[in-house]
Formats: sequence, C-alpha cells, structure tokens
Amino acid sequence: MARRRLISEEEETEINLSSMIDCIFILLIFFIVTTVFVEEQGIQVQKPDAAAATPTEEELNIVLEITQQDKVMIGSKEVSLADVAAEVKSGLVDVDTPVVIRAHEKSKHSTFVGVWDAAKRGGASVLSFSTVN
Amino acid sequence: MPRRTLSDEKDVATEINLSPMIDCIFILLIFFIVTTVFVEEPGIDVFKPDASIDTDLEKNSIIVAISAENKVVYGGKEVGVSGIGARVRALLNKDDLPVIIQADARAEHGVFSDVWSEVKNAGAKKISLSTRND
Repeated sequence: MARRRLISEEEETEINLSSMIDCIFILLIFFIVTTVFVEEQGIQVQKPDAAAATPTEEELNIVLEITQQDKVMIGSKEVSLADVAAEVKSGLVDVDTPVVIRAHEKSKHSTFVGVWDAAKRGGASVLSFSTVN
Repeated sequence: MPRRTLSDEKDVATEINLSPMIDCIFILLIFFIVTTVFVEEPGIDVFKPDASIDTDLEKNSIIVAISAENKVVYGGKEVGVSGIGARVRALLNKDDLPVIIQADARAEHGVFSDVWSEVKNAGAKKISLSTRND
C-alpha cells in the first residue's frame, strides 16, 4: 500500500474562495433589497401631564383655541396664523409660561401643526395640546 | 537576447486575483448591515403639513399613518384607532422605540389626538408628528 507523505512542501496551498463569495453575495443582495432609508422630519408633541397639573391660574396660561372652522382664538380675540408667534411672544411672562393649544376635534391637522409651529417660534417652551368637542 | 514564445505560456494556469473584489464586497456588506433598519412603512401617500421648527427624527421608529379620510394605517393595513394601541404595545414590549405619527394635513385633529392617546397609553415615551421634508 502506497503511503503519501504528509509533508509535501512543494505543493501550493490554496483555499477555494468561490463558495464563500457566493454566500457573501447572497447576504449582500439580501441587505440591499431590505434596506429602507427612512428620513422623517417632525415635531415631538405632548399633552398636558395630568399628574403634574397645578390649580390653573388662567392668567398665567396662554390658551390658543382652534375652532371647528380652523380659526385661531386667543382669549376671545381672533388672530390670524401669521400673528400667533407675535401674540405668544408678547403674552409670555417668562420662559416657563405654559402654552396650551385647545383644538376642536373637527379642525384640520394642518392648522394644529401650524399653530404649534408658530407658538414654538414665539418662544413657548412648555407647550401642550388638548382636544375639545 | 532570448525571446519567449507564446507557446511557452500555455501551461501556466490563468487565475484571477479575487482578494480586492472580496474586500469591496465585504465593505458593501458591512455598510448595508449597519444601515439596515427594519421599519414597517405605512405604504400610503400622506400629504404632510409644513413646519419651520421641525427636526430630523430617529430612523428606527414605529410609523403610524393617518390618511386624509381619517383612516389609521399601520404596516400597509387599516387598523383603526382602536387597533393601533395593541399593535404598538406589542412592538414596544420587544424594543423601546419612538413613535412617529404621519398625519395628513387634511385629517381631523380629533383622530390625531385619539391616536396620540392610544400610543401614549401603549407606553410610548417619545411621540412625534411627521412634517414635510424640506
């Protein structure tokens, strides 16, 4: 019985890479296909925290009311969306003055976002919304 | 000057050096593995409202959509306001993700508010509304 010598120094050792490349290609294609590049812009919103509520002193709050017809009211005065930022700025006593947006449930979402945006631009840092019907 | 003939090279095995290609593929693979997030997109066309103070939101989020007809959609299916809470709760149990509400500009505020409450009750810590990209 012929025995092969274990040490065959002259032979070039080579790893067959093709099967590994196959695997990697399949993985690559899987990840290319499943990748979605989600790019969302937005605003974080919150409602008034019931646990942290203090007895409301109405004059310390700024209440922006959105009616069913998408009109914006401060107190009983109707203001246009463009003036909300200025009104909020003049109404703020300090930076922690709570600003509440009280929107009617049938009002448009775009109005709500517009008012939120304007109030934030006016300098409101404690901003929340509630819904009335 | 000795001249090599073409016939001399016939026995040399032709081989392509694959290592640079493997390097490239590995880099691509790692890039895609790292950037992949498995987000269930709502799959409906939402006309988002515009805002000037918006910021970039986290890429890996739960996305809930509200259509112009006030339908609540998650993952391509209409689930309704009552169905969204359970779905979000199940997802949040696995992983604490932020929630994005993609509401159409023409949708009613009441529906948005209801969805917000449902998602909040499901235990979401960070809830954002989506605005138009600019």
